[in-house]
Amino acid sequence: MILSRVADGLYWMGRYLERAENTTRLLLVTEELSTEVLGLDEALARAAWQDLRAIFPGFPESEAPARQLAAFASASLLGLSIDQENRFSVFHSLKKARDNARSVREALTLEVFINLNETYRELEGMSRRHLADPATFRSAMQSTHRGLMSTVGAIEHTLPRDAGWLFLKLGESLERVSRTVIILRTKLPALVSAEPKVDLPLFYSQWRSLLRGLSCLENYRKVFGARLEPIDVLQFLLFDPLSPRSVRYGASAVKEHLDRISSASELSQPARIVGKLAAELSYQGHDLIRDGQILPFLDHVMTELGRAHDALSTVYFGS
Amino acid sequence: MKWVTPKHGFDEVFDARGRARPHYAALISILESFTKEDVERRERLQQLTLRNQGITFTVYGEKDGLERIFPFDFVPRIIPAAEWKGIQDGLIQRITTLNLFLSDVYQDQKCLKDGVIPAELILSRKEYKRALLGLIPPRKIYTHVVGTDIIRDDRGEYLVLEDNCRVPSGVSYVLENRNLLSRVFPEFLGAYPVRPIKDYPTLLLETLRFVAPRRGQNPVVVILSPGIHNSAYFEHSFLAREMGVPLVEGRDLLVEGNHLFMRRTHGKRQVDVIYRRIDDDFLDPLAFRRDSMLGVPGLLNVYREGNVALANAPGAGVADDKSVYAYMPRLIKYYLGEEPLLPQVPTYLGHKKDDFKYIAEHLDRLVVKTTGDAGGYGMLMGPFASAKERESYLAAMRKNPGNYIAQPLVELSTHPTHIGGQFEPRRVDLRPFILYGDRIRVLPGGLTRVALRAGSYVVNSSQGGGSKDTWVLAPRDA
Repeated sequence: MILSRVADGLYWMGRYLERAENTTRLLLVTEELSTEVLGLDEALARAAWQDLRAIFPGFPESEAPARQLAAFASASLLGLSIDQENRFSVFHSLKKARDNARSVREALTLEVFINLNETYRELEGMSRRHLADPATFRSAMQSTHRGLMSTVGAIEHTLPRDAGWLFLKLGESLERVSRTVIILRTKLPALVSAEPKVDLPLFYSQWRSLLRGLSCLENYRKVFGARLEPIDVLQFLLFDPLSPRSVRYGASAVKEHLDRISSASELSQPARIVGKLAAELSYQGHDLIRDGQILPFLDHVMTELGRAHDALSTVYFGS
Repeated sequence: MKWVTPKHGFDEVFDARGRARPHYAALISILESFTKEDVERRERLQQLTLRNQGITFTVYGEKDGLERIFPFDFVPRIIPAAEWKGIQDGLIQRITTLNLFLSDVYQDQKCLKDGVIPAELILSRKEYKRALLGLIPPRKIYTHVVGTDIIRDDRGEYLVLEDNCRVPSGVSYVLENRNLLSRVFPEFLGAYPVRPIKDYPTLLLETLRFVAPRRGQNPVVVILSPGIHNSAYFEHSFLAREMGVPLVEGRDLLVEGNHLFMRRTHGKRQVDVIYRRIDDDFLDPLAFRRDSMLGVPGLLNVYREGNVALANAPGAGVADDKSVYAYMPRLIKYYLGEEPLLPQVPTYLGHKKDDFKYIAEHLDRLVVKTTGDAGGYGMLMGPFASAKERESYLAAMRKNPGNYIAQPLVELSTHPTHIGGQFEPRRVDLRPFILYGDRIRVLPGGLTRVALRAGSYVVNSSQGGGSKDTWVLAPRDA
């Protein structure tokens, strides 16, 4: 068993690492979608950036959105990549992950710290001017993404599976499933209602982009083939039992870590909350989608995840 | 490669005629085999390693507590076996004396009664903790870890400059410097029989376990750090990792029923030994500074009850006071009946009338220091200060003369240091680390600090200093 403060630090390190990875990935996917549809449907490209800002609400509310799409896109890219003030920027998440890693460094291995530190230092060294060039931006974000992946790899390959590891993975899994729910909650209303209005190839582009944004495109194809049917995509993103970024898989991962952290005889409060949620997700299916109940259901999932976070902070971190 | 030899003073590598000393010959010929480009490439690699591994210290007063890399110079300092033997014996003699002195000051105060050292000098120090009078620490050890600063004068004689008995830092850089050098310039170490230092964390842990109050079971040892914003945080974390013990902050600990515990995710666990890296004043807000947020309320009571060991013991700071330093030769004779093995720098004491007069009249030739401060803060380098600076310093001294000591400016030895593509002489000092547990152990070598600015005498990391790997050679026939 470990110090409460160290458990807290590892938990947040896991959350911020996952958040940094998430933001990096969505920035890349959004930039790609926007480039793809820009010439065909400017409103769609703008919507993609607006969604991104809704998912990562780190921009000052007072800031008037740029009229010109190019300026709007570029402000969003820079804001969410290297802006130190934006609390959802990749830089901010990486810095927080590293600050937490530094404060619990004795619970980590050199490999984990070096990978994280190098990734942070590399991004820190980039200037706005540098990143304003789209090709440079893409390669820089890809490099950050690679750095994050190798950090996660170092965690996987070098850390002992002790309590510290469980809290790190708990943070990672809770952040991951929360991000998936937030992304779905933001994107679905427009996607579901847009069906008849939008040009068919563009319509598919959006669904494909949604899957890519959740690292699920290849996985989806393995289950449902290349054909993108909205109902199948939803079924997959919500209920697929094997894909790491589906809501169902994510909730079970959180549950598994909480169960292992919980003492053997009695389940802790957070383990019960997430246990119930995971059970619901295992037995829900098509009917929920058909009855149009998805959005309220996602809200319910989000509420329960929030409760789980509060409960585990109280039980384990004494906060 | 170009070597600049010093015009005056003692150089570690070159003698007065500019010839390399024998123990440096092999190193120089290896360095000569490199091109300028080779060296620069290696140096870049070295910088990158320092940066990526996060080997840093924090500078106070800069925005957000900026993390800085502690500059490392790759030209190692080499100490021959026989020279080291003299240093080591002198250090053992000193730490033994320091410990006997502290035992005396907090028990019978015989040295004060016998007039070996003026009583008011000790009793008036804020580092002297009257609350600890009569309290015997576990195994009677006060100074578990000491870092003693040593310099060489213009004849090459080793002189003790000061002892650090509170929370001496720098040992992590000693270990990391060796790692770094063997990675970046693997050619160097192969050419010399260099005594290893890697076992320091193991020896430190043994030293700490030795003082655990609960015998016969696995004692729980922790490092107590002020936290991530402390300038030596890297070292606290480094030692915790190397020893495999928890790094704790004050808020992780709690006192219950006169025992000390740490807060864990699943219940608490008793703590036996604290290697504390925070000053006495911050240890326990109930006993010392009430506004301390870093300490543990009630800790001193647990210590008083003998249920936890603190390393170093609270109150030990009185022994490294700069005015106590002036009395060290007398104290060595008093407690051990021996002559001091290591000479030290002549010291004028502000509290003595004659000395103060001398200091006031010769300020342009003296280095004046405040007795309580460390890290090069609060000092006046007389020979380099303007008349105006000296005047205002003197005015401050007159208000509290006992708070100051003065010493003649010691030239300090120089060592070739890689600067701007050539090797230039820069002033160095040496901080060996001494452990006092079941026996006394001296880490071979220590931290060589180097003043990177040309002509500078100040080696402190907070004032633009760097460091070097320090080699102690094994005796040839050992």
